[in-house]
Amino acid sequence: MRHWITQVIALLIISTVLALAVNAIRDNGIGLVGKWPSGFSGKDPVVPPSAGEGDPPFVTRDGAAALYQSGKVIFVDARPLEDYALAHIARSVNIPYDYLDENWERVIDSLDHDREYVIYCSGDECESSLLLGRHLKDRGFSHLFVFYGGWREWQESGLPVSGAQPGAEEK
Amino acid sequence: MKRIISNDYVTMLLRLYFGGLFIYASLDKIASPEQFARIVFNFHILPGSLVNIFALILPFTELVAGVGVIIGFLYRGSRDYLMLLTVVFIVAIGINVVRGVNLECGCFTVSSGAKSAGLQLIVRDLLYLAPGLFLLASRSRRWMLDRLFF
Repeated sequence: MRHWITQVIALLIISTVLALAVNAIRDNGIGLVGKWPSGFSGKDPVVPPSAGEGDPPFVTRDGAAALYQSGKVIFVDARPLEDYALAHIARSVNIPYDYLDENWERVIDSLDHDREYVIYCSGDECESSLLLGRHLKDRGFSHLFVFYGGWREWQESGLPVSGAQPGAEEK
Repeated sequence: MKRIISNDYVTMLLRLYFGGLFIYASLDKIASPEQFARIVFNFHILPGSLVNIFALILPFTELVAGVGVIIGFLYRGSRDYLMLLTVVFIVAIGINVVRGVNLECGCFTVSSGAKSAGLQLIVRDLLYLAPGLFLLASRSRRWMLDRLFF
């Protein structure tokens, strides 16, 4: 047994030394501690590593909730229809980014370009809210927010939801 | 059965296959550490601060252990580590299939495609375990570097 454990430890040490050495000398090495979002947006919004300059601004859960309560913004759910059908942020509309086609583009064009929109998806590193945000921006929308905390933060916070899922009646 | 498995040539073939599988699996991850870190993050199992270091080291353990199985260096440790790793993969994928996480995008979804993709990964990993189990049963110790050292 001792022999076995010693072998595994030796294996791990060799691998670690090799991994760190290779990472240090290569061009596309990565930081030992990455900037991965920790989940909940506190004071600052959750921002994905892929976000860049020129992307729509990100909002926190509280920011999104305040916009919701103002009643002036439209929430856009970027998840697939089956997720949206199960439950979604109350009064949100569904534009499934992964399934955009000509018909959806017509829906997008029919939206009021002067309104404010908050785009969200599942909130677990789904990129579709950000990607849909970029897409809408390209289509001439200028009042856009991305709520990257998304469906999960919203739902866990007990904010208004609707849909077919039990307990998701319109509030 | 045990005699066939313990045959030196059969064992060597199994070692080449089992070790080669993990060497092959490690190369892509080593080549693009950033993409692999994202995959690790998408599993939602490790805290964010450990994602990168894990994503850096894990592929090298596969590579070193894979080579170890083939050349017979730290053989028992390498073989058992790779089997343990496969079991850990199966558990991690299983957790996410149950939680409803689509492992490609790391997002929670009810889409059935994501679920079947997860189940396919589990079946694939179970198949990877098979040659390891044969090696566990094999008594052959021929063509192993370990014999020079231990």
